[in-house]
Amino acid sequence: MTHPVTVAPTLTEAVARLADERVLGFTFVKPDGTERHVPFAELGARAARTARALRDRGVARGERVALVLPDGEDFVRAFLGAILAGAVPVPIYPHLSFKNVDGYHDTLAHIANAAGARFAVVSSATRPFVEPVVPRVAGLLGVGEIDALDAEDALWEPADPGDLAFLQFTSGSTSRPKGVRVTHGNLAANSKAFMLEGLRADPARGDKGVSWLPLFHDMGLIGFVIGPLFTRIPVVFLPTASFVRAPRIWLEAISRHRGTITYAPNFAYQLVTKRVKDRDVEGLDLSCLAWAGCGAEPIHARTMRDFTAKLAPAGFQPRAILASYGMAEATLAITFATGGLRTDTVDARTLEAGSAREAEGGDARELVDCGVVFSGHELQIVDPDGRVLGDREVGEIRFRGPSVSSGYHDEPELTTTTFGGGWLRTGDLGYTVGGRLFVCGRIKDIVIVRGRNFYPSDIEWAVGDLPGVRRGNVVAFGVMVDGEEELVVCAEATESDRAILGAAIQRVVTEQFALAVHDVRLVPQGTLPRTSSGKLQRRKARTLYEAGRLVAREKPAMQEEGPPA
Amino acid sequence: MNHDDRLHLFRELATEVVERDFSGVAETTQISELGIDSLGMLEIIGEMERRLKIRLPDESLANVVTVKNLLEVVAEHQQLA
Repeated sequence: MTHPVTVAPTLTEAVARLADERVLGFTFVKPDGTERHVPFAELGARAARTARALRDRGVARGERVALVLPDGEDFVRAFLGAILAGAVPVPIYPHLSFKNVDGYHDTLAHIANAAGARFAVVSSATRPFVEPVVPRVAGLLGVGEIDALDAEDALWEPADPGDLAFLQFTSGSTSRPKGVRVTHGNLAANSKAFMLEGLRADPARGDKGVSWLPLFHDMGLIGFVIGPLFTRIPVVFLPTASFVRAPRIWLEAISRHRGTITYAPNFAYQLVTKRVKDRDVEGLDLSCLAWAGCGAEPIHARTMRDFTAKLAPAGFQPRAILASYGMAEATLAITFATGGLRTDTVDARTLEAGSAREAEGGDARELVDCGVVFSGHELQIVDPDGRVLGDREVGEIRFRGPSVSSGYHDEPELTTTTFGGGWLRTGDLGYTVGGRLFVCGRIKDIVIVRGRNFYPSDIEWAVGDLPGVRRGNVVAFGVMVDGEEELVVCAEATESDRAILGAAIQRVVTEQFALAVHDVRLVPQGTLPRTSSGKLQRRKARTLYEAGRLVAREKPAMQEEGPPA
Repeated sequence: MNHDDRLHLFRELATEVVERDFSGVAETTQISELGIDSLGMLEIIGEMERRLKIRLPDESLANVVTVKNLLEVVAEHQQLA
C-alpha cells in the first residue's frame, strides 16, 4: 500500500472525513496522569454540538471567538466547535502562575480587541482571569464556559479554502502581539507538506504523535491537532506543565504509546538531558520513534547530540533527529531536514561579515542544517536591496507558496511590509548550500529565552520605569550561555544607586515578563554605545559586553583590568 | 517533615535547578523577587513533587506569591498524601 498523498481542501472537510473513524483519535493525558481517549468520530460530533451552542449564543459566521483553555481536550473541542460554526477561533495563552496578573490582563485585552473577539470560551479555572478584562473589550457579546457549550443539535457550516480559519497571535511576550490570518487553504497546504511529504505519516503504518506542546501556539496546534486531523494520525497529548515539572513523562508516553512522531523546541531537549535520570532511561523503549523534530528557536547541535547520547540506551535512533525551520506567518513549517542531524562549521569572522565560509581552524561557528522547502514552495536569500544571493552568502530568508498566510489581522501596513511583493519576508538571516537552509539569527533583536520571544524594547521600557534609571539609558539583549540564550540588561546609573538597582531590575523583569535576567550590568552615565542621534545601539552593546568591555570603571581598583583596547 | 525542613528543601532544589545560590532565601521573599522564570519555578516544583511523592494541582498554585505561600501548599498536600 502506498502512503496517502492528498488531504482535504479545508479543515472542516478534514473533520467531516473522520466521521467514520471510531478507533483512532486523540488521547488526552490529564494532570493527574489519567488518560481519556476520544475517537475522531466523537471528536467531530462533540465539536458540532459546541458549534451549535456557539451559534445559539449569537456567534455568527466569520466572527472571532477567543479561547482561554489550558486543558487539551477542552481546547480541541472549542477550537473545532468554532471552526464548524464557520467562526474564527483565536487561541490565547492562559495565565502563568507566579506572573504579574495585571500584565496578563493587558495582553488579553490587547489580543481580544485586536482580533475583534465577539465571544470568549473559558474554563472554570480561567474565568477569574478573563472576567476582569471583559469591560475593556468592545464588542464582546459574552463569556461562556466550555462545559456549558453543548447543544442537542449539531452545526456543520461548510468552508472554502480561501476562508479565514483562525488567528494565530505571535508570541504573547511582546507589547503588541499580531494576529496571523491563517486560511483553510493554508492549513491544508502546510499539513500536506509536513505530514505527508516531510514525515511521510501513514495511519496504516501505525504512526502516532506524542506532544506536550501548548495548543495556543502554532507548533502544538498545527503540528499535533490540525496536521494529524488532515491525515488521520492519532496523537497523545500531555499537559505542558506536567512535562516541565517532570520531563521524563514525555519519554514515558512515547515508550508506552509507541509514539512515532514528536516535536519540541531546543530548550526541551536540553531539559531532558539535564533533568532525566539515567536510571529512568533504562526502562524505556524509544526505538519506535521515527521523528524527533526540533524547531521554533535556534537549534544547537550540542543539545541534539547530548539528547541522542542520553537516550541511546533506550534505543533512540539518531536518524530520528529532524531539524526544521518555520514560523506562524508561513502557517507552520518552511523547511525540514530529514535523515538525522547535519551541521555546517563556518568561520565566525567571515560569518559576521556576511559570508559563511567553511572554517579552517580559528574561531568557528557550527550551524544546524534545517533542510529544504516542500514541493510547491520556494525559498530565497536576499540582500537588503532584494537582490538574490548565492550559496554561502548571508541575507534575509524569504519564502513563498500556498503555506504563506494572508497577512496580519487589521494591520495593513505591517502586512505590506512583511508580505508585500509576493514573498514572505521572514526577518531572519540565513544562507543556503545547494538549496539547504542554515539559519544564522534574527535581523531584529528579539531575545528568545526557552522558547519565549522577548523584544528588548519592552524590557528596556519596564526597567526605565524604575527610580534611579533614566528611560533611554537602558539596553537589553540576549547572549548565549552554555548553548541557551539568556537576557542581559545594562543600565546607566549613578554609583550610589547601583547597590540597590541590581535587585530592583531583576525583580521588575521577573514580575512583568516571568523571565530571569542572566546578568544586570550597571555602568556610569555615558558608557552605553549610541548613534550620533543619541539612539542606543543594542548590537554594539552586546559586542562590548561579550568582549568584557561593558563594566563599571570608576573605582581605581577596577583599572587593574586595563583600559579598553 | 516540619516547616524548616520544607524551607531547606526549597533552598536546596532552587540552588540545584537554577544553578545559583539560594541557600539564604527567606520564606517571606516574594517568588517574583527570586529572579527565577516561570519554567524554572515549575522545574523546582516538579522536583519537590518527586522528592516528597506528592502532586500539587495547578489551581493550588494560582495564589502563591511568597516562598511561604508555596511551602504552605506543599504542607497541605503532604497531609493529604
